[in-house]
Amino acid sequence: MNTSGTTSMRDALYEAPGPKMRRKIRIWTIISAVAVAWLVYMIVNVFYVHGQLAPRYWSFFTRATTWRYLGQGFLGTVKVSLTAGAISLVLGLVFMLLRISSIKVLSWLARIVIEFFRGVPSLLLIYFFFLVIPQYGIKMSSFWMITLPVALAASGVLAEVFRAGVNAVPKGQTEAALSLGMSPFKVTHKIVLPQAIRFVIPSLISQLVVVVKDTTVAYVVSYPDLLQNGRVLITNYDALVSTYFVIAVIYILVNYLLNKAAIAVSRRTGAKIIR
Amino acid sequence: MSVSEILATYGDLYVQALLTTWRMTLISFVLAMLIAVVVTVMRVSPIRPLRMLGDFYVQVFRNIAGIALLIIIVYALPYLGVTLPYDICVIATTVLLGSAFGSEHFMSGINTIGVGQIEAARSIGLTFTQMLRLIVIPQALRSAVLPMTNLFIAIMLTTAIGSQVPLSPMELTGLVSYINTRSVGGIATFFISALGYVGTALVVGLVGNRIDKKARILR
Amino acid sequence: MAEDHSRKSPEGPAPIIELRQVNKYFGKLHVLNNINLKVAKGEVLVVIGPSGSGKSTMCRAINRLETIDSGEILIEGKLLPQEGKQLAQVRAELGMVFQSFNLFAHKTILDNVTMGPIEVLGMSRGDAEKRAMALLERVGVAEQASKVPAQLSGGQQQRVAIARSLAMNPKAMLFDEPTSALDPEMINEVLAVMVELAQGGMTMVVVTHEMSFARRVADRVVFMADGEILEKGSPEEFFDHPQTARAKTFLESIQGH
Repeated sequence: MNTSGTTSMRDALYEAPGPKMRRKIRIWTIISAVAVAWLVYMIVNVFYVHGQLAPRYWSFFTRATTWRYLGQGFLGTVKVSLTAGAISLVLGLVFMLLRISSIKVLSWLARIVIEFFRGVPSLLLIYFFFLVIPQYGIKMSSFWMITLPVALAASGVLAEVFRAGVNAVPKGQTEAALSLGMSPFKVTHKIVLPQAIRFVIPSLISQLVVVVKDTTVAYVVSYPDLLQNGRVLITNYDALVSTYFVIAVIYILVNYLLNKAAIAVSRRTGAKIIR
Repeated sequence: MSVSEILATYGDLYVQALLTTWRMTLISFVLAMLIAVVVTVMRVSPIRPLRMLGDFYVQVFRNIAGIALLIIIVYALPYLGVTLPYDICVIATTVLLGSAFGSEHFMSGINTIGVGQIEAARSIGLTFTQMLRLIVIPQALRSAVLPMTNLFIAIMLTTAIGSQVPLSPMELTGLVSYINTRSVGGIATFFISALGYVGTALVVGLVGNRIDKKARILR
Repeated sequence: MAEDHSRKSPEGPAPIIELRQVNKYFGKLHVLNNINLKVAKGEVLVVIGPSGSGKSTMCRAINRLETIDSGEILIEGKLLPQEGKQLAQVRAELGMVFQSFNLFAHKTILDNVTMGPIEVLGMSRGDAEKRAMALLERVGVAEQASKVPAQLSGGQQQRVAIARSLAMNPKAMLFDEPTSALDPEMINEVLAVMVELAQGGMTMVVVTHEMSFARRVADRVVFMADGEILEKGSPEEFFDHPQTARAKTFLESIQGH
């Protein structure tokens, strides 16, 4: 019986300890546990010393209105994230198809566009939509001023993710389909793309994390997302530290769960997560 | 504004902004790598509390948005008695985020080595430190070239959060915001900054690919 | 259980490898059940048995790639150290060949073979390379010396792995299913090297499914099932007159192939 295939590298690096090593590990476990506990204590203590544990900073989180308001903000975050995600999905697919097209000019143009959106911070794109575009007389709602740049930034990455998915479809399948007399167009749409998309699903979920993170700058354009509504709460209750703490935890949990979902899907389908 | 007008008025600021973006990126990257190494060592150690702390660190900082973290560091920490200069706040944010991702890259680099080679190293009589020095670290580093190149670029893009605090000199994104809130700068003001990012990303990507080709381990 | 009647003189030199009442569990599964075994100098011991019988685990326990829960493992009469430099030293004296070759992916073939001698034995690079080239010559892959493992076929990689073990000048060699991961046409080139080693007097413990190899070169065959050693004996005894029903069914299933 060979167990080596199932042990993770993390555990394999240190071999099963002998008696001396076991003792050492035990001692260091105790020392580090104490150190970690002390660290946690120190952090809590800093909150305490600066009065940040006072009930007035936290009690409003027991009110339904607080959560309804944060919930509205969260809904805003979800709306922007899903819309931006959907747009970037379509754009990414289009960019990828152009990128792999046999027409050189199109392929090159797509490449430039992809590299551009991958190489530019989403914040810069947001300022473009927020400050530059209105200079040309184009009026946009705050929803689109945050959604479009986030979508564009994601589309460049998604195009590359899709391309990796297409490359992962075995060449033999294309050849087999072509030899059956299918047109190249049909081969791409009926054979290659469905498989490529199935292959990239976990990567798409993990890209959603990037989208959610990018939406947090919605306050720049005053769109009421989770963070922006949190800022309103702060002015209402004069409770900055506690509010930001709660909001940060919410973001971390949401993204953590998205990442977990991506990993779970990737395990089930055997498809790798491409970043 | 025409490009020549922009450059005449803001040329110096653009150069300074580019240099600021570069400087913050470089400092952040180096610090992030150092912390990533420490965190990774913690995460592979047989000492449970260290492992858990390392995992927790990575989960927190890979899942929090840069802006949210920056806001906390800039606006919340002073309430807890920690007030940092703005540029340090920005760098601290990018370092915290970057080190979490860096550690993930190192972990997957270690994972690709496989248990078999570790057992082979043991069975020819290498000690633990020899095994790390000769087998694990070289392979983990070599397979990390491409992910680290991407991380460098990601860190550069993250430094754009510097636009949310008053920096002096400004970085590339902050400058676009600065110009366009004061005057009608037009599309070119945006493209000059964009060029700074994209150009840097392309060059870094090219160098990374070149190194990766030499360092890549056939499997 | 068949008793071990061979080489039992207590005055003789200590066996190179000895397992005394070794037990190991994977959770509830009793993977090694009271294993007693001696391997004498120069002996070629072939371990066979159905998959999941514990034969690989036993082989890997000999240089502590698997830990045991009770019992003793002795190398040249001394208890197998449990950690540290002493364990590394004993491992250096026992060659190990794996099912999946496990060559160091980032090193050339030559560097794979010289690493042990240079780093563990403290040999100079020049001497180590001379020796490595001779060994690579012996296993027939000398012309691949400057390539990296991924450029070689499985059979070639496994022969390099054998050379890597030999470079340490081991007192005994452990083979953990060395041909199980190989395409059929490559099995023989690896077996040929192993036959030559056996004929050269190397002490070997070989876990394998290659019955022809067992018949040809084994001094003794051990049959394991469900974590137990059910039979020990000469290849002729075992293959022609298996004692237990388990061994009989196993041999029949093998011949069915």
